[in-house]
Amino acid sequence: MRKIVESAIVLVLVGVITLIGNRIGYGFGLLEALPGMAVLVAICLLGVLANAYVFKLPTVLYVITFGMIVTLPGFPGSEQFAAWVGKVNFLALTTPILAYAGVGIGKDLPALKKTGWRIVAVSLFVMAGTYLASAGIAQVTLKFLGEI
Amino acid sequence: MTDAIKNVKVHLVVLVLVCVSELIGILKFDVGPGTLVLLPMLYAVFLGTFLGPKFLKVVNDKDMLDSSTLVSLTLMLLMARYGTLVGPKFFEILKAGPALILQEFGNIGTLVIGIPIAMFLGLRREAVGAAHSIAREPNVALIGDIYGLDSPEGRGVMGVYICGTVFGTIFYGLAASFLSVLDVFHPYALAMAAGVGSASMMTATVGSLSAHYPAMADKIQAFGVASNTLSGLDGVYMSMFIALPLSNKLYNLLYRLRFGKTEEA
Repeated sequence: MRKIVESAIVLVLVGVITLIGNRIGYGFGLLEALPGMAVLVAICLLGVLANAYVFKLPTVLYVITFGMIVTLPGFPGSEQFAAWVGKVNFLALTTPILAYAGVGIGKDLPALKKTGWRIVAVSLFVMAGTYLASAGIAQVTLKFLGEI
Repeated sequence: MTDAIKNVKVHLVVLVLVCVSELIGILKFDVGPGTLVLLPMLYAVFLGTFLGPKFLKVVNDKDMLDSSTLVSLTLMLLMARYGTLVGPKFFEILKAGPALILQEFGNIGTLVIGIPIAMFLGLRREAVGAAHSIAREPNVALIGDIYGLDSPEGRGVMGVYICGTVFGTIFYGLAASFLSVLDVFHPYALAMAAGVGSASMMTATVGSLSAHYPAMADKIQAFGVASNTLSGLDGVYMSMFIALPLSNKLYNLLYRLRFGKTEEA
């Protein structure tokens, strides 16, 4: 129970910070974007509850799935939900996360310095690997289907 | 966690960082055939890093610790938004066909190449976080959920996430141009492969492919968007149930091969 109350407080706090960033960077009014933010906070809390009381699957899985369900065509109110959350810019949500992460990184700087250039190298291979493997599979499948 | 919530200073610092970053806004630079895009989140992380005791001394060790414990929870809001991006398109994607679904397994290519290279470069558990996927938001959230973002796995996934954010669009834009010149892959295959779960990377790829093949531009874009939305839909399930377990298996196998024993916890 304590975990849920704490989660709710953090989500509301970050929600407010996001709404301000959303106003500055993307021009959506605070009140205009408020219903969408309320929906997002509610989805997250449902996810935390499901993780605590249903199956102990990662909260992310629940949250993504719930977000998808409430905007699925045919779900009651889905168009309204989609219109509301549309006022919360996707990028506006990324800024506070990276701000918290950035403040926290300070203490990992020595470790980061050690792994830094390696991570850059790895990430280039990761991007190339995903792209080439996916393109290869798509190529073979499209050929097989006679699309190309 | 309670400590972290009560740390008003951290929240205020974050609020200031968000305001400053959003005021700067999105910056774009043309680099060769691609575009380098800088987003407010990059300024936020960059500025945040310099507030620590080593530089500007605005935040102390406790503030930094409090701040990082909050990251995985703040990610949830973004994940909720992510779900709402996929929901409205769900049925269109279902119709999009087997090629789209199968190319999703390209993610396995990532870890097969990425984990050995990461370990060769001397990374340990960071390798699993860094190379199990292309490390977009859902993957970061998943690793944060399972290992915590303070763990080696968490540092790995955050590192690749940030690199991808900085270099991703330019990398994909250039790779698409280069590969279309080589003429090994059909433009449709290249367009489908662009859907890695990042709208900006997909846009960069589809953009340069459309420039190379103007006659096919419509279908190239449709394939790119469908594939990207599909990644948003199945990406987190794919990572959780296939890519992450495989990464751990491969890591353990390579660790044994190299050091002749299993890793002590």
